[in-house]
Amino acid sequence: MATDNLIITPPPHLKSKEQTAIAMRDVLIALAPVTIAALVAFTYNALFVIAVCVGSCLVFEWLMCKIKKRKSTLADGSAAVTGLLLALLMPAQVQWLNMIIAAFIAIVVVKWLMGGLGRNIFNPALFGYVFIITVSGLLASWTGNLGMLKGGFDGVMTATPLAYIKSGLEGLGPSYGALLFANYGGAISEVGSFWVLLGGAYLIYRKVISWVIPATILATVLILGYIVGSDGLYQILAGGVMLGAFFMATDWVSSPMYTWGQVIFGLIIGVLIVLIRVYGAPTGAVAYSIIIANCFVILLDKAFKPKRFGEVAAA
Amino acid sequence: MAEAKTFKGGIHPPYNKELASGKAIKRASVPAEVIIPLSQHIGAPNEALVSAGDRVEVGQKIGATDAFVSAPVHSSVAGTVKEVADVANFTGAKVKSVIITPDAEQPEFAKKQGKDLDSLSADEIREIAKEAGLVGMGGAAFPTHVKLTPPKDKPVDIVIINAVECEPFLTCDHRQMLERTDDLIAGARLLKSAVGASKVIFGIEANKMDAVDALRSKASSLSDVEVEVLEVKYPEGAEKMLIFALTGRKVPPGKLPSEVGCLVQNVGTAIALYEAAAWGKPLYERVLTVTGPGIREPANLLAAIGTPISTLIDSCGGFVGNPVKLIIGGPMTGWAQSEAKATVVKGTSGIVVLTSDVVDVGEETDCVRCTKCIDACPMFLSPNFIVQAAKRGQWDKAEMWGALDCFECGCCSFECPAYIPHVQYVRTAKAEIAALKKKE
Repeated sequence: MATDNLIITPPPHLKSKEQTAIAMRDVLIALAPVTIAALVAFTYNALFVIAVCVGSCLVFEWLMCKIKKRKSTLADGSAAVTGLLLALLMPAQVQWLNMIIAAFIAIVVVKWLMGGLGRNIFNPALFGYVFIITVSGLLASWTGNLGMLKGGFDGVMTATPLAYIKSGLEGLGPSYGALLFANYGGAISEVGSFWVLLGGAYLIYRKVISWVIPATILATVLILGYIVGSDGLYQILAGGVMLGAFFMATDWVSSPMYTWGQVIFGLIIGVLIVLIRVYGAPTGAVAYSIIIANCFVILLDKAFKPKRFGEVAAA
Repeated sequence: MAEAKTFKGGIHPPYNKELASGKAIKRASVPAEVIIPLSQHIGAPNEALVSAGDRVEVGQKIGATDAFVSAPVHSSVAGTVKEVADVANFTGAKVKSVIITPDAEQPEFAKKQGKDLDSLSADEIREIAKEAGLVGMGGAAFPTHVKLTPPKDKPVDIVIINAVECEPFLTCDHRQMLERTDDLIAGARLLKSAVGASKVIFGIEANKMDAVDALRSKASSLSDVEVEVLEVKYPEGAEKMLIFALTGRKVPPGKLPSEVGCLVQNVGTAIALYEAAAWGKPLYERVLTVTGPGIREPANLLAAIGTPISTLIDSCGGFVGNPVKLIIGGPMTGWAQSEAKATVVKGTSGIVVLTSDVVDVGEETDCVRCTKCIDACPMFLSPNFIVQAAKRGQWDKAEMWGALDCFECGCCSFECPAYIPHVQYVRTAKAEIAALKKKE
């Protein structure tokens, strides 16, 4: 009997089609609409931003695998996703050095120095971005014009939609329709929240993410927005709320695992977004909110550990 | 029709039942040699009652012990004992086994005139189950008479017949429900009498509606028998999940079904009890499914215990395609074999051969906290954290995350995008936790 090829592994002997690389490919597919919209809006500028961010993330990932003497992880797609997300956070006029530094922080510091894929507390792309908007002023003082970051994700340039929120003049800003489909201002991803929403819906349909975190964030921003006296709907359509809610806050690695933890996580983010936008400096409100909420994940996972089947009182 | 009952969590693997579900049960041919392990159950091992050169008859007891948690073993053929030796069983463990050379002519089993089944007392039924060597035939092989002896302070009011057969590919229980309907119901009612329950519930997945109809038509006149349809979902047939789906009762962690007044027995076990009580026939043969894309002619076979699986595969036309996995049991919980050498035991529900085009053995990568294992776990555990603790050798943490509550259904590993073999880590954790407890 031909039994030379028999493989011995522990059960189960069947496997779903789930693969980390396929999930990452789904994220890239989900980002396609907003990426295309960005390319249409900003043409070569957007292409340059995407090429530098994705390229440098891939190079840093490859380098870290070499240094750590690990098999290349480029194929799992996570570095490409980090690169594209980072690119989408950047304004079209960003200097190349800013992007490379942000990619270095994202891949080398936030991801690899924390132990590699699966062990990072913060979303790498967001942290890289927050780092660069925090220090770019500093960089500018060292390097002159080279380091200056103009505008940015949720950043205030004259006439970005967020400026109207801050000044309480939403009525004078772009219309809802413009915010949904074709408003340009801020980051290259801020070219219409509909395109982001479309990708988010795809991720939920593909079961890569659950609806809990995005829904909680959007609902919180919407309702709290009206409570504090601003236009809640305008709040969720403007700036990076959609991208943050569907693509950043839902990052597998840096978000809570249990449903109620995810709800609290979404609430924290939503509340912080509104408070920072309305009462603080709106620059990077979504990014800061998610980074702060990332710090609570370990706590939320501990607090909401589900009871075992049939368990009555806490053991 | 009412909505199919179910539990929370679980997965939907490809079932592939159609390969064998239409194949009527056939008697497998007698092999040139049977190798009967003396221990085929959970519990104390048996001593050999025969030695080399002895003549044995079909159904003759050849292994027994005085221990309560144990089940005697009977010869499955008429023949001559060749030797008593340690032989590797399907798990790879060396087990003392009786090797018998069967006679060329095998006699039919002579049915004995049994007692009136309705007049049997609970003690008599337990004694019949024990003498016949009955064990759970779904795979776990726990001695039936022990299960039929629940603690006195935990009365059982419901007997559940596990007719779910949620393991993909396997169809032997399905066929027995269709072909042995009356015997199955009679056996189930014996189980009911043995524990003094008030009713029997058959739990059947919605992919076997012909079996549901067959049982319902026979049971319609019986006030103590119910037939319930369950959602097609793995592991619907896990004891705790099945009890919950059918009764809403939750067996607490670390407890047995008797805690919530239930007894769960498999279809094959119920029929074997009927045969033991009505015909005086011990458990020396069983129905199993030989199937999978790597088997030329899948079949449901009635095979003598001790039949080498190579004999059964040959009688199904041998391999086809590129077979890369030979599994004893179902594909979710069964044991991969390195060669077709092991023999059929009382708990062998199937032989599944998978080909290279359906086997996906990926390299284990890092956990990305996707929570798919948590969503799939029917016990509401966090398999990822058990694995994390096991990798770090933190056995107390592995226990805290519920390693001992895991019954190794494999839903987590099935779903895992990082190809993490959670079940393997859980087994290691269980062994380490047990070793630590022994030390204390």
